[in-house]
Amino acid sequence: MVRFIISRLIKAAILLLAILTLNFLLIHAAPGDPAAVMAGEAGAADEEFIRQLRERFGLDKPLITQLGIYLGGVLQGDLGFSYRQQVPVADLIFDRLPATLLLTMTAFVIALTLGTLAGVLASARVGKWSDTFISTAALLFYATPLFWVALMAVLVFSVHLNWLPAFGFETVGSGYTGFDRALDVARHLVLPAVTLGLFFMAVYMRMTRASMLEVSQLDFVKTARAKGLKNSIIQRRHIFRNAMLPVVTLAGLQAGQLVGGAVLTETVFAWPGIGRLMFEALQQRDYNLLLGVFFVSAAMVLLFNLITDILYRVVDPRIRVA
Amino acid sequence: MMGDFWKRFSRNRGAVIGLFILLLVVVVAAIAPLLFPDSPWRMVQRPFLPPFEMSEYPLGTDTIGRNVISGLAYGAQVSLLVGLVSTVVSLLIGIPIGALAGYFGGFVDDALMRFTELFQTVPNFALAIVLVAIFEPSIYSIIAAIAIVSWPPVARLVRGEFLSLRQREYVEAATLSGQSHAAIIWRQILPNTLSPIIVLASLMVATAILLESSLSFLGLGDPNLMSWGYMIGAARTVIRQAWWLSFFPGVAILLTVLALNLIGEGLNDALNPRLARKGK
Amino acid sequence: MKTRLALLAAALMLSTSAFAQPVEGGRANVVIQPEPPSLMMGLVQNGPTQMVAGNIYESLLRYDENLEPMPQLATDWEISEDGLTYTFHLAEGVKWHDGEDFTSEDVVFSVDVFLRETHARLRQSLEHVESVEAPDDHTVVFTLKQPFGPFIGIFEAGTMPMIPKHIYEGTDFANNEMNNTPIGTGPFKFEEWERGSHILLTKNEDYYEEGKPYLDEIYWHVIPDAAARAVAYENGVVDILPGGSVENFDVERIANLENSCITEKGWEYFAPHSWMWLNNREAPFDDARFRQAVMYAMDREFARDALWAGLGQVATGPVASSTRFYTDDVTQYTYDPAKAEALLEEMGYDGEPVRLLPLPYGETWQRWAEAVKQNLEEVGIPVEIVSTDVAGWNQRLAEWDYDMAFTYVYQYGDPALGVSRNYVSTNIAKGSQWNNVEGYENEEVDRIFDEAAVAVTPEERQELYTEVQKILVDEVPVAWMLELGFPTIHRCNIKDLVTSAIGLNDGFKNAYIEEAE
Repeated sequence: MVRFIISRLIKAAILLLAILTLNFLLIHAAPGDPAAVMAGEAGAADEEFIRQLRERFGLDKPLITQLGIYLGGVLQGDLGFSYRQQVPVADLIFDRLPATLLLTMTAFVIALTLGTLAGVLASARVGKWSDTFISTAALLFYATPLFWVALMAVLVFSVHLNWLPAFGFETVGSGYTGFDRALDVARHLVLPAVTLGLFFMAVYMRMTRASMLEVSQLDFVKTARAKGLKNSIIQRRHIFRNAMLPVVTLAGLQAGQLVGGAVLTETVFAWPGIGRLMFEALQQRDYNLLLGVFFVSAAMVLLFNLITDILYRVVDPRIRVA
Repeated sequence: MMGDFWKRFSRNRGAVIGLFILLLVVVVAAIAPLLFPDSPWRMVQRPFLPPFEMSEYPLGTDTIGRNVISGLAYGAQVSLLVGLVSTVVSLLIGIPIGALAGYFGGFVDDALMRFTELFQTVPNFALAIVLVAIFEPSIYSIIAAIAIVSWPPVARLVRGEFLSLRQREYVEAATLSGQSHAAIIWRQILPNTLSPIIVLASLMVATAILLESSLSFLGLGDPNLMSWGYMIGAARTVIRQAWWLSFFPGVAILLTVLALNLIGEGLNDALNPRLARKGK
Repeated sequence: MKTRLALLAAALMLSTSAFAQPVEGGRANVVIQPEPPSLMMGLVQNGPTQMVAGNIYESLLRYDENLEPMPQLATDWEISEDGLTYTFHLAEGVKWHDGEDFTSEDVVFSVDVFLRETHARLRQSLEHVESVEAPDDHTVVFTLKQPFGPFIGIFEAGTMPMIPKHIYEGTDFANNEMNNTPIGTGPFKFEEWERGSHILLTKNEDYYEEGKPYLDEIYWHVIPDAAARAVAYENGVVDILPGGSVENFDVERIANLENSCITEKGWEYFAPHSWMWLNNREAPFDDARFRQAVMYAMDREFARDALWAGLGQVATGPVASSTRFYTDDVTQYTYDPAKAEALLEEMGYDGEPVRLLPLPYGETWQRWAEAVKQNLEEVGIPVEIVSTDVAGWNQRLAEWDYDMAFTYVYQYGDPALGVSRNYVSTNIAKGSQWNNVEGYENEEVDRIFDEAAVAVTPEERQELYTEVQKILVDEVPVAWMLELGFPTIHRCNIKDLVTSAIGLNDGFKNAYIEEAE
């Protein structure tokens, strides 16, 4: 197991460097640069002024040299400085990361638990009213644009019913501390987390239902039934455990993709996470900051993939033995 | 053969409903210029006219007085176009990569799969945003970006099919009879992978439409084409004053994507009867 | 009659506020958008930086709404008859926030050393300056190479902030540690900055103006979403919304809330003037008739009413009405599609499509570009909107890669500072968005602008500027749109918030909070 993890980690590190290089080249291909953007905000600038800025940021060096300097820094654990905000990129990202993690993890947990639960429920009642209802709902969530659900939720629950706050991470300037603050954040979290979770909930529900049905037709289940085992034990021990395999795989792949979906959710709900940070950095051509966000989110995807693989080995006895 | 296909397809009631909705959307897109000769960008009435007040503008007007229903009709063109073309492009990238990886295996497979992983590790939507921003928003950059982030699942699917099919006897027979690799891939294996590809493609069109609308929502749409995502994005800040501006385009996206998903399931039933029986 | 009543009312209001006793204490909760990259105003001069740091840093003068100079760090000043020597007498007993004395040496250092290196806009004005000297601790003398009419107008905090010599002399300005804890002479001191959340400034107890400031602290809230900012104001989290904080569609609703006041004042010095650059180098924009047709084709009143909440006014030409030497005695381009079509017909326009670059500053600007596109297409000019972000927009303008491009530019009170730069042919150079980007060349215009800048009396200057405005408006080198209104919205019981031509950027030294009625 340890060797497996180490080899996966090395692979992941190489992949990360490749991703950084690819993104570095991509971003530098974009029109404009941070010097021009910053000069643009100054209200006046001539060629000379912009040249000075470029020199200060090292943007006057050949691209390949810049790439070398950047990757060299990353290897030493230094993600560089944000050009625009003049603070280390790592500080900016770790300021925002907790908000994104809170949002995506809550959404993920909601999606996974409710999704599989609904899937199991539906599979136990194939063709009945409750199955139809759950399946239809899943189909609808699956086809709905995330940002639109978010807006409609704001309209209903914030504007009309006034139950939940529409925007933000917490009540600005409220001065809440301790439990009050946690409660305040939780209230703000409900709408973004649920809307972000809906789509994935639908995915897991459909997958669980299909998988449960498939596994229940397999030989070993039939054998168990023939042996006269209790139905609930068969459900739990045999079917559910095996049916979860593809769900876990998919969840691992998608946990990282949640970060992408978070860009939209964070935009609609003004949630101060790294999705928005990425969008802002992109528009200001804050190269280091943008690359930093990509680095962190790609690292998260790889981490989730690794966890999935480990979980897979735990869940699936065949792989564990091998 | 065809009749058989239709029989199995139409047994799925949802799929027929989906097909009906999709046809409706296609027809509206096709005759939009006849229904609404005016440009959907034209400011025709006072801004913020609520729906159901004037029969000429049944869904009201937007922030600067443009006809919402006309925008919906023209938006259908953009959604369908982007959905179809970007899916075709991602098939053109994904099928060859998957086929080569699955057919040759070994080092080729390894290299191609690492390359595929590269694209799967960066969050899809984030990569699409960066691509569109870099090449500046236009219908071409949007299609390209969607295709670039959508092909990896195709490659993986095709690779898997090739891996299992190339062990079959008829492929071995073809190899022994001296057929070239290209001929075997093209004539022997590929035709047998078409069914799952078609099913996947129908779902990809749906995803592409969602992606396009998300990009437009963020202001990264083609500024010269009225699209559903754009309409919702432009209405976001006025949601308190004008619910209808974001509501109707959202319903349009929902119905279209739903229709495509239903059709996808129907196709699955019709093309992969073996799987369908298992309740997938 | 109506005007006289209004004047009377204004006079009454002035007198009551002069007698009202300011209340001490309290905290001002203000929105800041976007979050400033830095508060060191000598290095960064973007809008939000100026607004927050305007409380920390000061300059020698301030300006009233008619752009007449008022004392600040300089208590009085003289200008020699020939317009070449400017002598400033500095206030006594002024201390930097760290307790050091502020002296004329700081002024010389700020202008001649620091800002000459870092401040792109001031640097251009300083080209007229022969020397800056400090004959004693409280006197500064500027000697010019030739008379420069607008010179008295550049002693504003955003243009010429005073920088402490004892902290910066001999250091690498851009990387000085102290940039994170700015030290100025202003009414408020830097206290803390939690990025992504807030900036806190506290009262400068040793401020040199007796009794001021009145507020204990200013709390700047960073709320990166327009709708959320509106909610924050409605919920009472913030009490002041600077111009541009909320979507224009929301302005009317918010201004009508209880105890909510709105003012368009405090932008006279900047006079944000919006126009479309027209690339004069290329057909069809090389034909003046085409450019005139563009002016007639646009419904600018609709744009103001539908997109700008009815605030601001239609621009008549290159000079904003609050800038000095403005005249409205020029050709008027009212919305007239028929006239536009006739002009296009006359010049034989072939219907070649043109590209339009919107300003990537959010919804309002995007909608505006769409409306203009529609206006132009209705007179037969096909328009393709090119979408881009801030970086791409900068790049295209700097490289002249556009046909039409939205922009808005500050005028800084005087045509020689904020107008001529966009029209004189000597200012055509790639790489900047503030020069003659449109590539307009007219020797007559060059000559008049040159003469007007160095003319000594205001009368002479007015005559010359009137002449040049007439020429420019007939030739339409760029398509002027609106004098933009950026309303400040605030609780009515916050008094004397805007007391000069730079509004909130001037700092809150006069502001105080009355008990809400």
